[in-house]
Amino acid sequence: MLLFRSELHVDRWCRQWKRSRGGTLSIAQGWKLAQLWYGDRLTVKWNPKTVEQAEATFAEVGLVGEFWRLR
Amino acid sequence: MSPSPRSDDEFDQRLRIAVYRHTIRSGCVPTVAQAAAALKSSVRQVRSGLQRLSQTHAFMLQENGELWRAAPFSAVPTAFPVSIGKRSWFANCIWDALGIPAMLRKDARIAAACGCCNLEMPIQVKGGRLVAAKGIIHIAVPAREWYKDVVFT
Repeated sequence: MLLFRSELHVDRWCRQWKRSRGGTLSIAQGWKLAQLWYGDRLTVKWNPKTVEQAEATFAEVGLVGEFWRLR
Repeated sequence: MSPSPRSDDEFDQRLRIAVYRHTIRSGCVPTVAQAAAALKSSVRQVRSGLQRLSQTHAFMLQENGELWRAAPFSAVPTAFPVSIGKRSWFANCIWDALGIPAMLRKDARIAAACGCCNLEMPIQVKGGRLVAAKGIIHIAVPAREWYKDVVFT
């Protein structure tokens, strides 16, 4: 998961590494996702998110569609 | 007699928190020996615990059995250094770089750079908000395949 200056730079990177284009999100979405994903990580009773919880977290940030499905 | 699953769970909980505490305090992910010393446990028990914890993907191990990742922290240097006050850590990716201030609930500076041209793209978190941060995050691999190709993800 890398940060890029623009869509143009994402396309350049994909060409350079011969990878098809993946999913993109804004830095603001990334921050929200990081807060939802890691905000409780230091609690003693932490458990990894279930598939359903992870998909719900993606959806909460606006990340929906085939690319973000875990099943 | 081997420990019961319940005592494994309790040990793994203590191990997970000990790894994070060491990392937050020192800036480095602990070695197996350091984690064993912190828990007054054996290296063998810690290795077993790390194996179980790595099934969650939050922790990932190197070929030598040492930690590679204790997400969001990286045990090895990366292109995602994160500073909070005088302390700094390496994150595994841009998501994890944002994850460190999210986890610690602190103001932070992330010395990020463009994945394409490597020009600097510093990010600042202040008061729980991003400050003038720009850019696009690209995830190369669909979510269900993240752990099949974690380096390119």
